[in-house]
Amino acid sequence: MNPVEVTRLCKTFETREGSLFRKVPKRVVAVDGIDFSVPEGEIFGLLGPNGAGKTTTIKMLCTLITPTSGDALINGFSIAKDQQKVRENLGVMLTGERTLYWKLTGQENLEYFAALYHLDSTSAKNRIPELLKLVGLDERQDTLVENYSTGMRIRLSFTKALLNDARVLLFDEPTASLDPQSSHLIRDIIRDLKQQGHAIILTTHNMEEADLLSDRVAIIDQGKIEALASPSELKQKVKRTDIIEIEARNLNERTAETLQSLSEVSKVALTSSAHPGETELLRVHVEKGKEVLPRILEFLVRKQVTITKVSFIEPTLEDVFIAETGRSLRD
Amino acid sequence: MKTTTGLRSDVQALAAIFWKGLKHHIRYPGEFAIFLMLPFLFTFLILGMGNAVGGSNAAIYFASRTGTTNIVIYEILGSAVWMVSWVVIEDVGTGIRDEQIKGTLEQNFLAPVRRFTLLVGLSLTDVVITSALFLIVVGVAVSIVMPAGFLTIIPAFLMLLLGLVPLFGIGFLFAGFVVRFKEPYIFTQIVNLVFATLTGTYYPVTFLPYWVQLISGALPQTYVIADMRRIMLANQALVNLYGSLFVLISLALAYPLIGYAVFRRIERKAGVTGEFSKY
Repeated sequence: MNPVEVTRLCKTFETREGSLFRKVPKRVVAVDGIDFSVPEGEIFGLLGPNGAGKTTTIKMLCTLITPTSGDALINGFSIAKDQQKVRENLGVMLTGERTLYWKLTGQENLEYFAALYHLDSTSAKNRIPELLKLVGLDERQDTLVENYSTGMRIRLSFTKALLNDARVLLFDEPTASLDPQSSHLIRDIIRDLKQQGHAIILTTHNMEEADLLSDRVAIIDQGKIEALASPSELKQKVKRTDIIEIEARNLNERTAETLQSLSEVSKVALTSSAHPGETELLRVHVEKGKEVLPRILEFLVRKQVTITKVSFIEPTLEDVFIAETGRSLRD
Repeated sequence: MKTTTGLRSDVQALAAIFWKGLKHHIRYPGEFAIFLMLPFLFTFLILGMGNAVGGSNAAIYFASRTGTTNIVIYEILGSAVWMVSWVVIEDVGTGIRDEQIKGTLEQNFLAPVRRFTLLVGLSLTDVVITSALFLIVVGVAVSIVMPAGFLTIIPAFLMLLLGLVPLFGIGFLFAGFVVRFKEPYIFTQIVNLVFATLTGTYYPVTFLPYWVQLISGALPQTYVIADMRRIMLANQALVNLYGSLFVLISLALAYPLIGYAVFRRIERKAGVTGEFSKY
């Protein structure tokens, strides 16, 4: 049996919205019957935009949210029935820097959580300095967390997930808000953990990170897994299509939607621009790109769009996402 | 990785939560001053009001209604018990919410530590500190006003410790309400003020209408305050108070069970609705 087995996992939130006396019940399907498994020594990436259901999935796996239906087994323990055992078998890093006690030092934070994970004092004494050194915080272990930089806090939060040396590790956006150097360090550690045989689930909306780290990626959108394969297999799917990236001003959703009506264009999506507000970035999936390009440019110019750069690019996981969902990861 | 199990793991977790709380208090030391001053301030407030209402005969009227002329000890015992019970109810009730606002609640809930241990641990530091402050406050007052009765603090303090157990149960109940409705202080502050009114903090509960006294009878502080006064002001031995001791022990068994059952029920619902990560 794999360390992680997820079967038809669903989560529907029922809320009431509206003014005080006119509350209307609303059902939001956050996760819609997903299945996957993660063997030992694999990094499994959950890739999707904000609100796709990644964090809800992680929170169900770590028992913070109760599934509406379906189940998942962590090292053979059910998240619905054996929650205490599941917690013993998991190391979890949730996103954000406010997951630590700011009035305690780095070392005190780890000592506290080591006790909550029932590490005996000798194991904790050996493990904590080892982990602090791993993330480069050994020289700041006695500094209050309130005096740490954001990157240091996230590194410490990451370390906390490794305290109990669990076989299954869940990392929710582990490099969000980190500088490139710290991101690099965390990614290297995640690769090492994989080599040691840990089963790792990683959520991210950073496609490069998913591509770099994951052995397999599940593209998740509106609570459903739209595609699941290795990054290279997923990219292979869109390889037969030419991808044109257009950087431009005065580009909006409506223009992108209208461009989609051209018969040669299979998918169009606005993606994250390097200069948001100034220029927008448009990805266009077409067959025979070089033949179609003049028509696309002419169409955009007619719509008063000022084109600043045009290039043909190699497909990324974002293109896989666009091909599967018709939308970009920034939506 | 070697881990601890059973009772040892619970004690280890409780100790860690206690030290974490203590370190936070030491790094925010202003609260100690408040805890030390409040019982004296409330007592002086009551003395001033009593004098304003009763004039030169205030002490005589007080003695005729309460059976003691030692107004300071009578009132300071009520104030000190109120302070301790306020801390227990508020800290168990709002401890969860404070962790939620800090962003650390989910981190605690991710760990395999039992929820019961967490709930008790969240208020343990404050209970220990406030109990120590109770001893200081009452000790200082007794040393000045009735030094001969100093040793009666010991049985009175034992009475307080017994009374804390059912208070934890009431705290668990409010912890559940706080998880469900947020806004912790709405619940705990109203309840603490109502408890002060109903439990004879500053006057005998016999002043209250009969039907209100029935409610008072369900509150542990009513027995703790009355028995402490009997021990310290009427020289009653602890064994002579077996009737109220029996009630307190019964409440100590029943309230934590009821309170924790309600908390678990609301907590399970919170898992369904995803309340833990909502602010």
